[in-house]
Amino acid sequence: MRLLTKAWAVGVALVTAGALTACSGTGGTAASAGGGSADQPVKLTVWSWDGTVELAVPGFEKANPGIEVEVVNAGSSTDEYQALDNAIQAGSGVPDLVMFEYFAVPYFAVPGKLADLGPLGAAELADDYVPSAWNNVTIGDGVYALPSDFGPAVMFWNEATFAKAGIDEAPATWDEYYEDAKKIRALGDDYYITQDTNDLFFLLSLIWQAGGRPFEVDGTTVHIDFSAPETQKAVAFWQKMIDEDLVNTKISAWSDDWNRALNDGTLASQNMGGWLTSTLPERAPDAAGDFRVALMPQWGEGEKVGAENGGSSFGIPEAAANKEAAYKFLEYFTHGDGLQPRVEAGAFVPNKSVLDSPEFQDVKNPYFGDQKTGQVLAEASNIAAVGWQYPPFFEWARSTYGDIATPFYTSGKGSLAEVLQTWEQRSVEYGNEQGFQVD
Amino acid sequence: MSATERMTRPAVAVPVPGGAPQHYRRRRTRQIGWAFVAPFGILFALVFIVPITYAAYLSLFQDRMVGGPSFVGLANYTKLFGDAQFWDGVTRVVSFTLIQVPVMLVLALVLALAMDSMRLRGMRFMRVAIFLPYAVPAIVSTLMWGFMLGVRYGLFGSINGWLGTDIDPFRPSTTLISIGIMVTWAFTGYNMLIFDSVLKAVPQELYEAAAIDGAGEFRVIRAIKLPALRGSLVITVIFSIIGTFQIFNEPQILPSMVANSGITTYYTPNLYAFNLAFTGSQQGYAAALALVMAAFTIAIAYAVQIRGMRDALDQ
Repeated sequence: MRLLTKAWAVGVALVTAGALTACSGTGGTAASAGGGSADQPVKLTVWSWDGTVELAVPGFEKANPGIEVEVVNAGSSTDEYQALDNAIQAGSGVPDLVMFEYFAVPYFAVPGKLADLGPLGAAELADDYVPSAWNNVTIGDGVYALPSDFGPAVMFWNEATFAKAGIDEAPATWDEYYEDAKKIRALGDDYYITQDTNDLFFLLSLIWQAGGRPFEVDGTTVHIDFSAPETQKAVAFWQKMIDEDLVNTKISAWSDDWNRALNDGTLASQNMGGWLTSTLPERAPDAAGDFRVALMPQWGEGEKVGAENGGSSFGIPEAAANKEAAYKFLEYFTHGDGLQPRVEAGAFVPNKSVLDSPEFQDVKNPYFGDQKTGQVLAEASNIAAVGWQYPPFFEWARSTYGDIATPFYTSGKGSLAEVLQTWEQRSVEYGNEQGFQVD
Repeated sequence: MSATERMTRPAVAVPVPGGAPQHYRRRRTRQIGWAFVAPFGILFALVFIVPITYAAYLSLFQDRMVGGPSFVGLANYTKLFGDAQFWDGVTRVVSFTLIQVPVMLVLALVLALAMDSMRLRGMRFMRVAIFLPYAVPAIVSTLMWGFMLGVRYGLFGSINGWLGTDIDPFRPSTTLISIGIMVTWAFTGYNMLIFDSVLKAVPQELYEAAAIDGAGEFRVIRAIKLPALRGSLVITVIFSIIGTFQIFNEPQILPSMVANSGITTYYTPNLYAFNLAFTGSQQGYAAALALVMAAFTIAIAYAVQIRGMRDALDQ
């Protein structure tokens, strides 16, 4: 089978090479690397579950007559990564541009499945994004994706519920958050300051903000360690919240239950990525005017340190047929003229040009009681701490985390620290099996 | 018969007038036979033999993110037999099968007998209504049951509210029972239909004879209907075992609907294989798992068949 595929691939390469020589023979040099031209149209396939990318297509096609763009939703997150892995393995149907959550970039980049965008022009864009976002798409000296949306960790808090508990401002520190949680819990059975059913990304954002850096990646060497004091501080704090029944462990994020509890105000706050700004109004329409956005509570009085929770980017598979044209479109909708229609439609991007613009900062958001949410989100983006890394096998690790953490969340037996310890152990095992040097 | 007589017989076969050579005709019939089998043979090779051979080939390799695939011989199989997560899944589906299959088949049997008793009204409607869940895609039915059994805002939430109970169908300890209910709901009608069609084929004379002998309804069931159903029972048991061993849709979808249902990435062997292949990029290991499960399923189905057939012969 493998031999067959190889023979087939060679055949395709020969045919392509033939086509290319034919091209240069007629003087169509622009098309030689898949750049696209009027008489040699290039068709780009883009895999995206971000609906705003579509909005950049008409403008791009008008400005680049030789290139046609088709945006396809090949599933979200894991589903899409599986589809891409399948396509790469099969050697056919590989799209030209693919959406990745930041943590998935190393998974594809390290084994060489993603093209380095540096030589195509991406290296010059470093200063146009907030530092933490750029950090997410670079590995060593290579740039493997361009940020398309960003998730600075912020706190969405329901002012009405907080007021009911006698609190009139958002907690500035985690100590205040703890006190507020007790007051809100005192309102009655269903009232909680927040919910958590093994939400890994929240826990990591807490560790991230506290200064812990549990993953250190250098090429194929990975170091995993949850014992640093900064990490332990964050984990111990959340353990205390769960132990004292201040966190609802029955409602999981994204579920129908979650929507309802946000809607009726019984879940008083969410520490999540800034992207929730655009979907919260659909999830909790009845709470219109109640929610506000604030910076995540801080570990120390007067500090301003942020973290990330989610966000995504687009990369070009190494096996893509039209890399140059693909990069043109990528640059257009993540950095160039295509950015504006996306931002207007609600995309939250880490481009400084957008975050610093008065249009973004001065807009009053009616859902959030006319708060100028852009200011908070821009600030949270700028203070997001850098230096965080995800191991290349994070996609696997996060699915395993659920297996390990669920018994703790359902029975209350054990502790988060033990969960993380087991997780570390399994990740080390798996990483080594996969050919990395993990300890 | 004298020696001279024998001598006069021609030593070589002379062509019999009007008859084509025998061996030629036989060969042609044989070739026509192959032509008839070919459509099946080609499809069978294409969708059965080739994929299984390919899976067997894959199972001898280990895929690594760094360094790509490498030949490891039978290492995937030895690893599998020591894999606690694999055995956890196997134990789960086996115990699931032991309980769910009998419950479902008894239910289907009772329904089929009730239909066949001719004492019910609206039978045609009932037959369709009971069969209908089989036509609902498993994904849709899982979503539907997820909402019905959901404790916070689902139907079960209301039931708990009325009765003052605190039953959660999707706790780690109860999730498997809920899945059992979903599967039973979906497949009882299908099995009932199989039984029903067998009962319809029982010759009317047998019932007449029984009536003349003065047999009551239950006597008829015991002496005529159940023995008639024996063969189909073996078939349905085999189908059900194969089905339950491959449970996948329900545990795949439920975790995104309910929190902390206890469903792990290795909840059933199929789910484990899926996760190994696609989130763990361990295609080789997943292929080994799939083959072992296939062998396991075939062995059990075969054992049931032999056992069932022997009992049928004993009768």
